[in-house]
Order: sequence, then structure tokens, then C-alpha cells
Amino acid sequence: MTVTDFQPSPAAAPPSQRQAPRRGGIFAWLRNPWGQPRFLVGVTWLYLAWALVPVAIAILFSFNNGKSRSVWQGFSIRWWWGNPTQSVFHDPSYTSALMHSLLLAGLDMAIATPLGVLLALGLARWRGRGSGAANSLMLIPLVTPEIVMAVSLFVVFTQLAVLPFTLIKLGTTAQVVGQVTFSLSYVVVIIRSRLASIGTQYEEAARDLGASPIQAVRLVLVPLLMPAILSSTLIVFALSIDDFVVTQYMSSNSSTTTIPMYLYSNARGGTSTPALNALATILVAVTLIGIVLAYLLYTVLGKRTATTEGGLMALTELSGMEG
Amino acid sequence: MAGEVELRALRKHFGEAIAVDGIDATIIAGEFFSLLGPSGCGKTTTLRMIGGFERPTSGEILLDGVDVAQTPPHKRNVHTVFQSYALFPHLSVTDNVGFGLRRRRTPKPEIKRLVKEALELVELGGYGERRPSQLSGGQQQRVALARALVLRPALLLLDEPLGALDAKIRRQLRIELKALQEEVGITFVFVTHDQEEALSMSDRVAVMSEGRIEQIGTPAEVYEDPATVFVADFLGVSNLMEAEAERVDGGCRVTVGDFPLRAGCGDLEASGPVKVVARPERIELVAAESCAEHGNCLPGMVERTVYLGTSLQVMVRLATGAQLQVSITNTGDTGGFGQGTPVGVHIPVDALRVLADRRPGPEEEDVAEAATAA
Repeated sequence: MTVTDFQPSPAAAPPSQRQAPRRGGIFAWLRNPWGQPRFLVGVTWLYLAWALVPVAIAILFSFNNGKSRSVWQGFSIRWWWGNPTQSVFHDPSYTSALMHSLLLAGLDMAIATPLGVLLALGLARWRGRGSGAANSLMLIPLVTPEIVMAVSLFVVFTQLAVLPFTLIKLGTTAQVVGQVTFSLSYVVVIIRSRLASIGTQYEEAARDLGASPIQAVRLVLVPLLMPAILSSTLIVFALSIDDFVVTQYMSSNSSTTTIPMYLYSNARGGTSTPALNALATILVAVTLIGIVLAYLLYTVLGKRTATTEGGLMALTELSGMEG
Repeated sequence: MAGEVELRALRKHFGEAIAVDGIDATIIAGEFFSLLGPSGCGKTTTLRMIGGFERPTSGEILLDGVDVAQTPPHKRNVHTVFQSYALFPHLSVTDNVGFGLRRRRTPKPEIKRLVKEALELVELGGYGERRPSQLSGGQQQRVALARALVLRPALLLLDEPLGALDAKIRRQLRIELKALQEEVGITFVFVTHDQEEALSMSDRVAVMSEGRIEQIGTPAEVYEDPATVFVADFLGVSNLMEAEAERVDGGCRVTVGDFPLRAGCGDLEASGPVKVVARPERIELVAAESCAEHGNCLPGMVERTVYLGTSLQVMVRLATGAQLQVSITNTGDTGGFGQGTPVGVHIPVDALRVLADRRPGPEEEDVAEAATAA
């Protein structure tokens, strides 16, 4: 007797069960306790459509052949590249916003990531008085309403005539300082959680084998933290590219306008072309790429440097069964 | 030979908690020395102080006569095999083993040769290119050993290195580890809570409890001749009984309940309330009627019998109310000890040990508390 003999064939099922969906109509079909949770699946799809379709429409209209951002006139890439003066990559007001966004993101990544790693290491090692408070306070920037932080920074940078605040002029400097201020906490949280899972054993082993404290960090801890460092860099990139409130408050003139600022000030005007949609599409794309890369780096690299898993893990990683 | 360690009044406090409460011990160069005790007894903290990962609150750690208590770990010629091995996951086996040599700026060809030798020593010759994650637990453990041994330490510290392995590999590695230690001749300090592990591998064992050393001796000494109630209790089943001792010529008379017995070992000078112990494998069960002829015999009743394959474990409830565990070698005839059978428990004179229940200082009081808590 083989195992398959135990599985009842569909024909063998009692007729009442087989016909249950048809007899009960739509409600029974939704209610079927053995099948998919159809009602919940339906609600999920409805929400996804609600949230994503408007974005998809905005993206679609960046490929409109006409000047309208609401009436479809056929497919074209003129607002991306074709138009030599008005396309998103030719109109100086667009390219300036793009370049300034990338500049701020680059500076934010370059400053917030190493600083965040140092803070995370410090917090992880700091024992005794003040360490608990510092750990909790580190999370405050994450939950502070951004407008509050922006206004506070604005007041401090413009009204306080004491060092170091007098050195920070509105414009690129203030924008970078503002972005670093709020993105730092994200880096610290990511690096801290990785540090916690790494534990102290590898560093101790390195010290045991003759490495000085600094060598132990450089030769062992930093390589092990690399997935977290890379992914937090990309998170900082996404945060910076997306940021509107702080960046807006810290700006000085049109040369410090970023993509989100440009979108905000032009989206409602009737004069904008579908090139504005193209700009929005670029923002969506780079943010998405940043987040996806961050996730992949963290999970795939993180597992490769984990201690216990064998070679088989690589397969499950790729098939996305884990994480 | 290098590798002698002397601990002098070594203490470690963590805030209010006292982890190590004044330890004195001498570890002879080239010996396999175990720190044995239950979790929280301070054995790992002691090891971490010798390794340099914890700074002693007070006391000295003399390594070949030089106090290293205030020396950071990377400047001590002492290396550790960690409980979790702590192999660097981003480096190959070769680079893991060569890590310490590179820190010493050993020339590259020399590193290559020494790493190869070390891997062959632990029988992992062909595994140099692998990552630690591609090795089994036992293999990882050997890499950890090679990584420490390649540096020719004066002293090798092992923090429960077999703890993460399954029972079969553990037994095998126990033998290999002891053989390896004899081959390289390096002093090993081994931390474990497993008494079988400590007894089977060590030249000497220090039994620890509550931050103090209860007894130091060869495995046979601590097992056969426990100095304290705690040691007797921790090293296997000890069948502790309350008794009254009375000094007589050539031994000691103890009264357990209403039954007079002669004790042949332990603290024979004791008098007054004491504890007596007898190992389960040294006790004989005889027919209840013949109890009187044997002498040194207590009447009791079989309460429970557990079949263990090589032996039979019989729980006997004595007439005094105490319960004794008796271990009988399985010689084929395991019948006759059914529940409720009246038996005589014959404890040979030289198997009954007196442990003085004196309480001169606070130290011993703590020990007794630990023993009752355990």
C-alpha cells in the first residue's frame, strides 16, 4: 500500500462539501474556512490599489506625449529626454534640483554613517550612569515631529549668536547639518541592533590573539558590521532624498532647492509640464532602489557573515524564504 | 617549563555582587587543570581574569612569577578557546589560524608553515580554504584550538569548549583534547560544569562554589576524598545523612537515627553532629534478615528501581527516614528488588565518610547553604 492511497481523491469527497461554495453563494465563498482568507485578501488588494494607483498614474503621465498632466495623449519620452530645453534632464531648474538633492544625500551619507557607527559603538560599550538615559534619548529624534525639529534648528541657526551656531549659514551647510541631525538616529539604531547580535565574543577573541583595541575594531568588528554599515548608508540616502520639511527650512535660495521642494512649489501650478512627473518618478525610483538595496545587503551579507549557518543557507536566502 | 600560574587572593566584584571571593591556587606548568562548579560559582570569571578580559578587584595573577593582573589581554601570552569558538566568520580557516601570527608580525612564509602545522595537529589539513560556517561544530572547535595553539601560549584557557557539541562528539573530543594537551605540553586551564568531563581529563581539579575554591586535588582525591559537603554533593550522588559522631580508637562511631555504624574515612576526629556520606556504587544491598550478621548495616525498604542498562539504580528508604541511592552492577540477575521489598543496606566501614558539620567561620556556613540549595 502506498502513501497516496491515504489521500482522498476529489471524487471521493462527500458531495455536500464539494458543492458548498455554489450552494451558499458569495458569502459562503468568502467564508470558506478551509480555503484562503478571501475577505482579508480582498481588503489587502483594495488598499494596495488605493495607495499605489495614484503614484502609478503620476509615473504614467511623465510619458505623456502632450503638455497636459491629466489628459493622456499617447506615449513619448519627450519630457524625459526628447525635448532639448524642457525635458527633466535639460531644463536647468530641474537639473539643479536633481543635482542639489544628490549633493545633500552624498554629504549626509558621508557624515551621518561614520558618526552613527561611532555613536553606536559608544552606546554599546558605555556602562553605568547615564548610559540607559543616552540609549533612550537616542530614539527621540526618531519620534520628534519633523516640523518641530526643523523650526527649532531654524531658530538656533538664525537667532543664536554663539559658536558653533554662527558658523552654520542657511543654505547647503544648514541643510546638511539638519539632515545629519535627524538621520543619525536611524544609523545608530541599525548599527546597534547588528552589534547586539554580533556580541562581544569576536572582539574578545581578536584581543586574545594579540590585536590592540583599535585593531580589533578595524580587523574584526568593522568587517562584521559592513552589511549594517552599507544598508544604513542607503537608508540615509533614502531619508535625505525624500526629506522636505527640514531641507526646506534650512534652504536659502533657488540654488538650494531639492527635488521634493521643487515638486511642492510647482505641483499645483498650471504651468508645469509632465517633466515634473518625470522628476517625481526619479524620486520614487531612487528611494525605492535605495531601500531595496539596503534590505538585500543587510539580509544577504548579514547571513553570509553569520557564524552558524552552512552553505545551504545561501539557497534559502536567494529564494527569499527567510527574512 | 613555562606556564605556571599562581592566583593570590584574587577577587572580582561586579557592583554589589561578588563573583570571585578571594581565590588562592597554584597551577603547575604543563598540567591539565580544571575549574569545576555549578553556573554562577565564579569559574568563568576566574578564567576571564586570567585571560585579561576582566580586571580583578584585588589580588594577583602571577604568570611565571610576573603579576599580569593589570596587563591587557593582547599583551599576555595567554590564549583562549571560547565557549562559542568565536571564529571570525569573514575569514577563512587559514586566516583565522594565522590571525595571531600576523599581529606578531611573523614573516609570511613562516605564518604559512606554522598555520599548516597547526591545522595538521588538529587533523584539519585540507580545510584551510573553508569558511568557519562550512565546518561542523567539532571541526570549528578544532580550528579554535589550532588558532590558539599556533601562538605557543604559556597557558591555554578553555571556557567550556565542549559545551556546544552533542554527547557523542563530546566524549570523543574529551579523549583527543587530553592527548593533544600531553603532546604539546602546554598548561591547560579548563572550565566546566560537567564533573565527568573534569574528572576524565584533568590532572587536577579545583571545585568551586560561590566564588571560592572548595577543594583542589586530583580527580581521585576530590571524588574519593571530598573535603566538604558541597564537593561530596556536587561530584555525583553522595547520599548525605545526618549523624552523631563519637571518637573511638581506630575510627569513628557514628549514630544514624538509632543505628550505630563505624566510619572508616573522612574527618575521623569529629564529634557531635556531622554528616556522613557513602557513594551509591560502594553500598551493598543484602537480605533484610542477614543485616545483623554483616554489621554496619541499616534496615530499609526498596522504594523505586530504575533500570539503567549497565547498572540498576535502587532507591532505598531507610528506617531512619532518609533516602539512599544504591547502584548495582548489572550482572544479569536484577530481580529481587521490587518495590516494597525489605532490604539491608550494608555500608562497608571504609566506604562511610564523615564530613564534619562544624561551623567555625562564616565561610563554611555559606558552603553548607550552597550544599542544601544545590
